[in-house]
Amino acid sequence: MSTTLKKTIPVAIVFVVAMLVMLDYFIVTPPVDVAGKSWTSGAVKDLQNWGIVLTAFALGFGAVNLFYFHSKHISRRTPDQWMFSIWLLIVIVIFTAIGVFTGPTSDQYNWLYNASYFALSATVYSSLGFYMTSGLYRALRFKNVESGIFLVVGLVVLARNAPALAVYFPVLGTWGSFISGVLTTSAQRGIMIGGALGAISLGIRTMTGRETGFLGKMTEEERGGGGTA
Amino acid sequence: MLILIWIFILGNMETAKKQLPPFRKLTGLDALPEMVGRAAEMNRPVHFTTGLGDLTGSVAPQLVAGLAVLAHVSEICANYGVKIIYSVYQAQVMPIATELMKEAYVKAGKSEEFQAEDQVRYLSGEQFAYASAVQGIAERERPAANIMIGPFYAESMLFAETFNRIGSIQLAGTARGYQIPFFAVICDYLLIGEEIYAAGAYLSKDPQQAGTIRGQDYGKAVVLILIILGVLATAAGSSIIVDLLGM
Repeated sequence: MSTTLKKTIPVAIVFVVAMLVMLDYFIVTPPVDVAGKSWTSGAVKDLQNWGIVLTAFALGFGAVNLFYFHSKHISRRTPDQWMFSIWLLIVIVIFTAIGVFTGPTSDQYNWLYNASYFALSATVYSSLGFYMTSGLYRALRFKNVESGIFLVVGLVVLARNAPALAVYFPVLGTWGSFISGVLTTSAQRGIMIGGALGAISLGIRTMTGRETGFLGKMTEEERGGGGTA
Repeated sequence: MLILIWIFILGNMETAKKQLPPFRKLTGLDALPEMVGRAAEMNRPVHFTTGLGDLTGSVAPQLVAGLAVLAHVSEICANYGVKIIYSVYQAQVMPIATELMKEAYVKAGKSEEFQAEDQVRYLSGEQFAYASAVQGIAERERPAANIMIGPFYAESMLFAETFNRIGSIQLAGTARGYQIPFFAVICDYLLIGEEIYAAGAYLSKDPQQAGTIRGQDYGKAVVLILIILGVLATAAGSSIIVDLLGM
């Protein structure tokens, strides 16, 4: 594939689209319509609609992938897999049939969704409590100075949230509030600021065609050359 | 402020052409060949996922950062002859991921070994259905290594614990502050916040990409100075920095 098709055209599209969206967000570009919106608003709205259409197509691609992958397992009778694959395909067909014939907002479809997926989803979410307990058990062990600090801080916060201990030792409330309100919040904000700057930097690299990770790995020549590494 | 950061980044991209700026070591990314090598020795696959990201929301940069690492890991896997499984949450990512992985296999001269329908798996667009499916892959196929880079939510703990239980070596990275502690206590290697955005530049060793990281660090220094000035000014009863930033 030529560099033009592989890099130049995709990067140009990314640049134009990103500039349009940014212009619309930061600047009211004339001409302005009667509603006070700039011409970029309409363009951005159209781009968003295109995104929705593309996503819908991709969903079809995903469904084909699911059918292909699981049909293969069923035909091969893959141990520990093929029965689940049959069940998955049956569920997909049932949901699709009811969705198509009664509509995705119908009572029947809502009932099916709430009675099956919603309940299962809540169950999986609840199981998180067990995973957190087992993770905590491994984390709160004294191995070195760092894990020791982690252990002490973890125990203070844990004890602060246990109602009986918090009543008998009110100082835990003060310590806990300091840990979560000052130490944790400042660290979280540091990560947030770093993350935001990182995202801006990645955006600039992507727009200028230097970050081509989403286009696949490129040679120095394909990337534009000029490097010393 | 944003314009200033842009100037820093673009300026450093130009100056970095002459010399590759020094990088702090990112142990997690350096460990990728070791992780894939372990999978080769154990004759087990490598599992990769980018979490609940989509290409249009506010977490899209995290997903793009994850895809850059996916391309790199796919190439290592192709070279080592290890199967890599990419679990997909958003169907719109599938064509991009398929193309990335196919290209990595072509670059390694093993295009015939890449099986898109088996290696790029669309699981579900629903959070916990996707989470259960990834846990199912972990239990059934027992990957020797698990790499998770992107935006993760409640499923982070489910993934990290399940893969830990089956003995996978794990690298996790996210810019979502609430999930970082979960990954930190369980995973073997961790990329915190901005480190995932630097992954592409770090792995490519491209001077201009590295320059943007240095520009980003200058931006961070400016933010740090503003924070200190803001604290001092507020303590002295002035709101000059707060007014300047329009807060």
